[in-house]
Amino acid sequence: MNARALIVWSLAGLVVALSTTNPIYRALIALIAVNVLRTWSRSEQDLGFLVRAIAFTTAGAVLLNVAVGHLGDTALFTLPGGWPVIGGPWTVESIAYGCDAALGLAAAVLVVAPLSYVLEPNELVDALPKFLERAGIVVAAALNLVPGIGRSFGQVRDAQTMRGWRPTGLRSWSEVIVPVAITAVEGSLELAEAMESRAFGSGPRTRYAPSRWTARDSVVLGVSLAAIAITLWARAAGLAVDWFPYPALSVPAVSPAMLVAALLPAVAIWR
Amino acid sequence: MSEPLARLAGLSYWYPGEVPALVDVNLELEPGLTLVTGPSGGGKSSLLRLFNGLIPHFHGGRIGGTATVFGRDVGRTATRTLARDVGFVFQDPERQVVYGSVEREVAFGLENLGIERSEMIRRVGMALERLELAKLRGRRVGTLSGGERQRVAIASVLAMAPRLIVLDEPTSELDSSGVAAVLDACLDLAARGTAVLIAEHRLEQLAPAAGAFVRVADGRVDGRANRPILSGPPARLRPLPAGNGRGDRSAWWTAGLVAGPGGTPLVASGPLGGQAGEVIALTGANGSGKTTVLRAIAGLLPPLSGSIARQPGRTAYLPQDPGALLHRPSLLAEVSWTLARAARENAHDGLEVAARAALAEFGLAELAERDPRDLSAGERQRGALAVILAGNPAIALLDEPTRGMDELARRSLARVLDRMRGAGCSVVVATHDQDLVAEIADRVLLIEDGRITEVEPARVAGDVPVLAARAS
Repeated sequence: MNARALIVWSLAGLVVALSTTNPIYRALIALIAVNVLRTWSRSEQDLGFLVRAIAFTTAGAVLLNVAVGHLGDTALFTLPGGWPVIGGPWTVESIAYGCDAALGLAAAVLVVAPLSYVLEPNELVDALPKFLERAGIVVAAALNLVPGIGRSFGQVRDAQTMRGWRPTGLRSWSEVIVPVAITAVEGSLELAEAMESRAFGSGPRTRYAPSRWTARDSVVLGVSLAAIAITLWARAAGLAVDWFPYPALSVPAVSPAMLVAALLPAVAIWR
Repeated sequence: MSEPLARLAGLSYWYPGEVPALVDVNLELEPGLTLVTGPSGGGKSSLLRLFNGLIPHFHGGRIGGTATVFGRDVGRTATRTLARDVGFVFQDPERQVVYGSVEREVAFGLENLGIERSEMIRRVGMALERLELAKLRGRRVGTLSGGERQRVAIASVLAMAPRLIVLDEPTSELDSSGVAAVLDACLDLAARGTAVLIAEHRLEQLAPAAGAFVRVADGRVDGRANRPILSGPPARLRPLPAGNGRGDRSAWWTAGLVAGPGGTPLVASGPLGGQAGEVIALTGANGSGKTTVLRAIAGLLPPLSGSIARQPGRTAYLPQDPGALLHRPSLLAEVSWTLARAARENAHDGLEVAARAALAEFGLAELAERDPRDLSAGERQRGALAVILAGNPAIALLDEPTRGMDELARRSLARVLDRMRGAGCSVVVATHDQDLVAEIADRVLLIEDGRITEVEPARVAGDVPVLAARAS
């Protein structure tokens, strides 16, 4: 898929998922994005890390919301009011709202993930306008360091474990996080050194390969722009139909226009 | 007489806030192959970075004297400008990759130079052919072996058609086949008329073709150094029957081991074990599973099937990247932390004395207060070894311990391993360094096609001693 078409597709997904609080649109976008990743990801890409990262952050979002929300009619249990922050009722509605926020977060991450999992870094750079090209290269190069950071995390954790370190709390993780962060900074500096040594920033650049554009890219671009337009129109016309679980839980209503906007990006699954 | 490619006159260099890294260097660089030798931490990397202006432009600091490269004043010419004439290949092939695919990676420098597309295609093709990478042009760099990646880095530089190529220990991260391929490529470049300046510890292959030798030690440069004295070829291994597993003095043992990362079997073996007071070398190509075996023995990677057991006592583990162990403000603090943990208390009488002794054993006594991140690659490797081996562990598992080390440091390591053997430690060394294997190993395990078999290090070939005597 052409990088420019995919960038607009990701933008459309973000607009639909984040412009309302309706979990149905968000779930649809997340589902479509998962299928795009499954269809288009480069064969050697491991989606496991992405899944784990999303699971970790969304679980955190739910927990945070239920622990500090205390809104809603249906209390599961109540902690003493004197307890700072977490004291008060823990409600079903807070859990539902936390899940909705988590769904929005997951959808947002999943629609952007194809830019890393489907495209080669150079494809992303080629898609950028000239004035953004250098910034794009820096980002692409930084993305190449990500797998190394993952390996570094494993190595540091192993090394510290063998020296007697044990994860006993959040503070104890500094024994792993600090070396990983330092190593990542070192890696970035070494990469910058290597780029400078290969004349990066020495003057106007040329491109080795022009990006290709196919009929399918036109279709993806068209439906993505349509999804954005419909969402903005529905928002402006008051037809987007947001959802709030407070004070009592309710089934989300659906706007036909927004349903169309949420389904249009599914065209990108077609290969 | 022709003009030298580069001339350094009365040149000194200080990193920001540091003692001089280079002192009063006078050097003229001629065409051909020039070998830079000297101990790690002596200033080789600093010297090399002068030739493309990374010093002083990227690293900052203070510079005195004059440095001209192809007639340009290095102090007044940006690295990106010098890059048109001087190509630079770094130690770690992983940390110099900008793009994901081989072909685009080789084209990156040409894009930066604004070369026309048709000319780029021609030069990329030529560079890939010269480095025997044509078959890999469509591959992703991340899927290549270390040797292939480093050849891609050299091709990336070669495509820019520099008049001088500088290589900073390009084989320090590679296995023996990767080393051979990269050094062959360097020799080929020199034979075809490109000036090549290379810092390298493995001199056997390069020295016969070198036109000049430069020795760097303590920041001082001898531009008319003699040809270095070389050790002999590596030992040959011959097959033996399979290992005998557990014995009376077993420190660790396995039964029916199958191990691999991410649930995928990579290595399998029959009964296997290590005795107290024994040094085992674990060899095999890159990706064969040496690290997997070490991690399994350490208990960091649960076996997919079979079992692993260890006698009580501390197990020391050296990962491939010494940076994983070094993040405190000084080497002394880092070694003290290991000793404190080993003693199961935070304050321990004689801790500092013991830490200093551990550092001294690796020739690092004078660097005890230094920040490990300011040290050379070889010094960091020795520092990491001192960190994990302090306090007499019962088992020591070392993953590529001679990476980035010069001959002197390698001999220090051999001495330490010999002492540890005497103290009853069971040592397993995963290494490509066949000299080290022949020098210190009591037994050799070879991983090939996913199976571990035992072979014996031959200390002589015919009647010719092929290695220096065991360090004493």
